[in-house]
Amino acid sequence: MLGLRELKLKLFRWLYREIKGNTSLNLKKSKLAAILASFIMHKPPQGSLFTKAALKTLKSIIELEHFIVKPRKDYVDLHRITEQERDNIEHEVGFFVKACKDQIDILKNRIHDEEKNGNSKTWLHIRDDTYADMVAHKHGVILILSEQLHSVTTQFDRLRSMRFQDAINRAMPKRKMHRIPDSKSFEASKPEFTELGEQVLPSGPMKVQDQLLDDETRALQVELTSLLDAVQETETNMVEMPALNHLMSTHVL
Amino acid sequence: MALNLRQKQMNLIVRMLNLNQPPNPGGGISTAAGAEEVYKILIMDAFCRGVLSPLIHVNDLRKHGITLFFPIDKSRQTVPDVPAIYFVRPTPENIDHIAADAARGLYESFHLNFSSSLPRPLLETLALKTLEKDAVHRISKIYDQYLEFVTLEDSLFSLAQPKTYVQINDPSAGDREIEEIVEKIVSGLFCVLATLGVVPVIRCARGGPAEMVASALDSRIRDHLVIKNNLFSESGGLASSFQRPILCIFDRNFELAVGIQHDWSYRPLVHDVLGMKLNRVTMPAEKSAAKSYELDDSDSFWFSNSWSPFQKVAEEIENQLSKYKQDIDEVNKRTGGKDGVEFDGTDLIGNTKHLMNAVNSLPELTERKKMIDKHTNIATVLLGEIKERSLDGYCNLENDMLTKGSVDKSQLLSLLKGKGTKVDKLRLSITYLLSLETTPQSEVEAIEAALRETEVDTCAFQYVKKIKSLNASLAASASSASRSNIVDWAEKLYGQSISAVTAGMKNLLSGGRQLALTRTVEALMEGKPNPEVDSYLVFDPRVPRSGSGSQLRGPFKEAIVFMIGGGNYVEYRSLMELAQRSQPVKHVIYGTTEVLNGVEFVEQLTELGQKMGLGSSGVGPSQQGV
Repeated sequence: MLGLRELKLKLFRWLYREIKGNTSLNLKKSKLAAILASFIMHKPPQGSLFTKAALKTLKSIIELEHFIVKPRKDYVDLHRITEQERDNIEHEVGFFVKACKDQIDILKNRIHDEEKNGNSKTWLHIRDDTYADMVAHKHGVILILSEQLHSVTTQFDRLRSMRFQDAINRAMPKRKMHRIPDSKSFEASKPEFTELGEQVLPSGPMKVQDQLLDDETRALQVELTSLLDAVQETETNMVEMPALNHLMSTHVL
Repeated sequence: MALNLRQKQMNLIVRMLNLNQPPNPGGGISTAAGAEEVYKILIMDAFCRGVLSPLIHVNDLRKHGITLFFPIDKSRQTVPDVPAIYFVRPTPENIDHIAADAARGLYESFHLNFSSSLPRPLLETLALKTLEKDAVHRISKIYDQYLEFVTLEDSLFSLAQPKTYVQINDPSAGDREIEEIVEKIVSGLFCVLATLGVVPVIRCARGGPAEMVASALDSRIRDHLVIKNNLFSESGGLASSFQRPILCIFDRNFELAVGIQHDWSYRPLVHDVLGMKLNRVTMPAEKSAAKSYELDDSDSFWFSNSWSPFQKVAEEIENQLSKYKQDIDEVNKRTGGKDGVEFDGTDLIGNTKHLMNAVNSLPELTERKKMIDKHTNIATVLLGEIKERSLDGYCNLENDMLTKGSVDKSQLLSLLKGKGTKVDKLRLSITYLLSLETTPQSEVEAIEAALRETEVDTCAFQYVKKIKSLNASLAASASSASRSNIVDWAEKLYGQSISAVTAGMKNLLSGGRQLALTRTVEALMEGKPNPEVDSYLVFDPRVPRSGSGSQLRGPFKEAIVFMIGGGNYVEYRSLMELAQRSQPVKHVIYGTTEVLNGVEFVEQLTELGQKMGLGSSGVGPSQQGV
């Protein structure tokens, strides 16, 4: 501590002396005593409804932050939790964020409600402009809350983008890896084909059935491989779409 | 124990904004949620607003829960159930405002933070007024913050006390006025030391404002150290000089030339031509609204290039621009329309990946572009001014004069008759006066004639001439300087400064002359016997007065250099260079009563010349009062 003095203590002592001795102030001693008492027992500030609601929203946002931070390690690491669980987390987070946003919107509307109520008392001695600062303050509170919510969601977006990055990285090498063995197996099967073909005549009719079976197997193999390719393609497309979606939503909007 | 003044001041301000409660170690948003009083309003006066502005931006205020901020002297309205933080100077006007606000019950609770110590009478006034209006219960806390200074950078501070030079050197100033000024400076310096939490060893030259400030500061610290839990108890018990810094106090008259000359590096140029205040420059605007830029350490280009000569800066901007264009092209190539590539599955995946990378790097690219634009604008304006006023000519000639001690008369006169504002010519002439030991009367007259031709107000020139002549005629006398005799002062001080300048000229380092200030600070920090600084006084607040005096002469690892009357960026740079080239690396903080560029300083010299009656409109010798 850099030794900040609390001058209130000085004030306290000075007032005490004033009470004990002849007071130069035009205040009754009882009044002075009441003031001294208020020094000793500090009343906690009583917030208005607005402030209480704002504080509740703040607590929700903090809860949200904790919720995101806790499974962060699990979320980011590739093998700790399943994709399903990640989806669940995302879903819940989205839900929570929406709830917080709704709370903030409610608060925003409440400002204007109170302003309207203030206006209705205009014909009394309360003027319109006396509420301008208060309204500005409430707008400030809402701005702070939305900024905090925004920072929490940005944190989460970063985690999500890492997830997409990983997914795409995983998809890409897979395609490359799978292509080569496919073509290899394809080419490997070809020489066998021709070999067999050459041997067809000498082996005679008994081998024809075998050959037909082999042909079928070959054909099935080819079909399977091409189907596999198609599935792979669709899979990667599916991975890309949410990634693109995420990009659009965070950066474009 | 590197002294980072900016960080320490920032920490104290952040703590103040959090109602001086210890921060929650959890960090993040949860810091503020513990207390009930989360959303606050901040009320400041103009001075404290200046203190805050180089340190904190409006957006950052919101991070600490400040929803609004207001000036104290404007009328404000009620915002019930919200605590208000007041950060103001302890003046009677501010106390009146606070008492009035409390009486009106504008806010739920008042947390009063005064930028320096609140004097007892003002505290009693506050108490009285709030008692009368039955508003005492609103005053929640009162603090002395000791933050009455502006930290412009990690190692640069200013007391923001305008016109100190004029006030101290004013021939009509009486004892009381001088004492008041000294008291103000001491108060500001005390705040700086309290924030740093160090008790330095103070050294200054004999005679003059530096000695007055040093001895008053010494007394102030001594009085304070008697208190048990004083502000310096953290550093108590550090006896060795290796851990305590040295505080060197100088007066502007010690080396006048630095405050006047033109400089060619980026930062002093910006300060001189565009007038930088609180790290902001405002660009002169013709068509659109005036743009203002912020120039501080967070701007990486500024951080790395602000001490380079102007040509190099222009080259650097070009480099950055071409690099930026390259990067943009690359991003476009990867993600834009590709002609020759086939559109199949693999490429789609790669496409998305590149798109992601591109989008992630976009914010950084935008930031770079903004920075490049900013510096391009600044450099363009500077270039225009340089061409129009042929500032390069002034720089070179002044530098030549100061380093060689001789002048190329024809070049001097041609510049005086040529381009440049009136103040530029005045500055050149004054530099001429200061760089030569003897100035032949004929040359001086020629210069004065040239100045009169171009209708330059020569008050400042006459003032410096007068000071110089007084010094020359009384050079032999060794009388001690009495406070009331301003002439004795000037001659004592100027005697030192003349010798300092001539000695400085003989010490040529590569790339320019070494400032007398830097040389002296180096000698003081080393602590070895040195004829230049042996006569300097020593004040050590930790050593009892009756003792044999402080034995701490050095070497010192850290120094705080304070210039009374106005400092500038050229001195700052010189001291930073000293710190860096020392073996081992030392640490220097530079502070001053206010940061002045050449134009502003010459204004003060002009004012002094006018006060002395040295008008340029052909005033005869009989009218020259002292």
